[in-house]
Amino acid sequence: MSLLDVRDLIVRFRTADGTIHAVNGVSFELEAGETLGLVGESGCGKSVTNLALMRLLPKPAGRIEGGQVIFDGLDLLTLSEAEMRDLRGKEIAMIFQDPMTSLNPVLTIEEQLVETIRAHRRVSKADARRRAIALLEMVGIPTPEIRLRSFPHQFSGGMRQRVMIAMALALEPKLLVADEPTTALDVTIQAQVLDLLGRLTTEGGTALILITHDLGVVAGMTQRINVMYAGYIVETAPTPELFGHPSHPYTVGLLHSIPKVTQRDDEELIPIEGRPPDMRQAPVGCPFASRCTWRLEVCWTDNPSLRPVQAGARLVTTGPEATHQIACHNPPTAEEATAGRPVRPGFRPAPAPAGRMDELVLLAEGPA
Amino acid sequence: MTMAPAPAPGDEGGASMPAATPGAVSPASRAGVDGRPLLRVEGLKVHFPIKEGIILERHIGDVRAVDGVTFELRKGETFGLVGESGCGKSTTGRAIVRIYRPTAGRIDFDGVDIASLEGAALRQMRRRVQMIFQDPYASLDPRMTAGSIIAEPLEIHGIGTRRERQDRIRELLPLVGLDAAYGVRYPHEFSGGQRQRIGVARALALDPDLIVADEPISALDVSIQAQILNLLQRLQGRLGLTYLFIAHDLAVVRHISDRIAVMYLGQIVEVASSRDLNTRPLHPYSVALLSAVPIPDPAVEMRRQRIILRGDVPSPAAPPSGCRFHTRCWLRERLGNPERCSAEEPVLRELESGHAVACHFAEDVAGSVEQALVTGRRVPPTAIPAGGDATGGEVFVPGDATSEVPPGTPVLPEAAPGAE
Repeated sequence: MSLLDVRDLIVRFRTADGTIHAVNGVSFELEAGETLGLVGESGCGKSVTNLALMRLLPKPAGRIEGGQVIFDGLDLLTLSEAEMRDLRGKEIAMIFQDPMTSLNPVLTIEEQLVETIRAHRRVSKADARRRAIALLEMVGIPTPEIRLRSFPHQFSGGMRQRVMIAMALALEPKLLVADEPTTALDVTIQAQVLDLLGRLTTEGGTALILITHDLGVVAGMTQRINVMYAGYIVETAPTPELFGHPSHPYTVGLLHSIPKVTQRDDEELIPIEGRPPDMRQAPVGCPFASRCTWRLEVCWTDNPSLRPVQAGARLVTTGPEATHQIACHNPPTAEEATAGRPVRPGFRPAPAPAGRMDELVLLAEGPA
Repeated sequence: MTMAPAPAPGDEGGASMPAATPGAVSPASRAGVDGRPLLRVEGLKVHFPIKEGIILERHIGDVRAVDGVTFELRKGETFGLVGESGCGKSTTGRAIVRIYRPTAGRIDFDGVDIASLEGAALRQMRRRVQMIFQDPYASLDPRMTAGSIIAEPLEIHGIGTRRERQDRIRELLPLVGLDAAYGVRYPHEFSGGQRQRIGVARALALDPDLIVADEPISALDVSIQAQILNLLQRLQGRLGLTYLFIAHDLAVVRHISDRIAVMYLGQIVEVASSRDLNTRPLHPYSVALLSAVPIPDPAVEMRRQRIILRGDVPSPAAPPSGCRFHTRCWLRERLGNPERCSAEEPVLRELESGHAVACHFAEDVAGSVEQALVTGRRVPPTAIPAGGDATGGEVFVPGDATSEVPPGTPVLPEAAPGAE
């Protein structure tokens, strides 16, 4: 049995502007000790998925409207608030993007760390303090005895994120969810923090869900990746397979829109035209259709479900042998994935049916 | 509605920009780079005073945001300014458009020192130097229509009649890939990428020679970033613009720039062509910066060895003595902490043609295992530091994998410098 099993998760936000269809039936599994990347642009539902499984959605707007989250045999969505609180931190810990807003500014690091430890473990204050010092030492904070008495604002961004990691790992959780943990940091500090995060989760056998928009970060940090778009998982594969054989047009597009180190000087980037869909409308057809250069007529009306790339392949959902799956009616061939555009002679993306906006045509028309 | 001619997914703006160089834009060989300096910045300093006390303010120190920066922009080129937050790259850009008044130094723009210009002369200069800002949400007035935002520079400079300005708006919108009819819409009706296009149109309104682009894509989603980068490249080819491109993302800067200056704590530590910086970085900080950039290729990431710099960037109010990087430098540590690093400030010296570096020991970076590791040259397995790559074979990192490390490359005595 896997450590985490998310099945058909549906999350919606009821707002004055209408219903936001944030997560539209997401399923994935995670084994103990496995590292999984959740990749996508802002608004794709990657953070909401994570907040939903921690039961931390903003209330009353955010609601889980369907699905199951089974963690270590427990259905998290049926637990009481008290049971859930007991689980958070102890079994599942989180690291957020901005360490300044996730640490309490008026409490010292000592108070926050000791409180975290004593809330879940029956230990004396002195023991908790010793544990806190050991944790700060582990994340590479110099002179931990002294720094323990500091307030969060007395630390730099990278140091604060180290404190967050120390706090998250204080109770040796089975699962650590890191939501854009290094996005607010400079690149040399990002390297420090990622190095630390990778080392500590490997050593402690902690499963890791790494949520990020940065394909470079997940490439080195995860064993498996889910690519999300508009509240759907559109591609899932072991990390080497995803980068070696990207098969969904969106993934292919993402890989071509970032400059590569090996790119020749005169090579232009191939952007994904248009913009992410309006999540206030329930999607009709494939959510990526209006921006996709591979789309067929069927894409405008039928939303493809996640299927193995190799038809008939046995479905493995976790581990390094996990089946490569995509949700696409007309996947790019290997040659096209390399080129970044369709190369079949005479192929044209299917025009939008009446009433649907076609971002490609809008952009291409210009002033004429 | 008709379809765009031929499959042209990368052809952003499509028919709207027929004059743009089709397909390939080669920065190195781009037409218009004629080598004449358009801008020369010499010994530029921008210091911000730190004051104490409420009624009797006392000047107790300075944040030396930019502290003696010298570089040159040739007409038609893209010059990248890269560094981490607080290194002074944005302040440098803002001093050049004279949002800040330089504390010291010269800014020669087309032969005129603009560092101390005032009034009408300054306004006149600003017609030729425009800026694109980072945040397309904060840099557009929400109460003005896209059209009036774009026309505002023309109004300020009293150019054209109302009708002529309207025509100019209808000409600029398609140029940046927006429908000419969008001029009547308000900023909130546009997406982030479209807003940044409006920001670009506004910068183009006065037909400037130089555009200072300060992190123009870092607030945008990954899939949108490439749209704006391509737009900027095409506009340059078409209008013969010169760019000062400021960003923290080395991969992006490398992609768009002809030449790059790496900044650290208010100073330039290395200037080189984009290609040289990529293949032969000569400053220990540049090497570390290159090695820290995550590469979207797991095979490379697994084998690659990072140079993890210790600690944080020191405060620009109290920069370290001597070389400002010496407190975090991996090379200094390797060389047994020579006193020179903390005692003597290194000057920017030209080590190779067009490649200048401010490091006393830059010669030791050339040919080092670290340099090879981050630039993708093959390294003999014996030269890999202990605790590093365990694949046993050659280490390969992308880049220009053409040259071998010369025989006799010193074997590192200890674990990766700076690793904890």
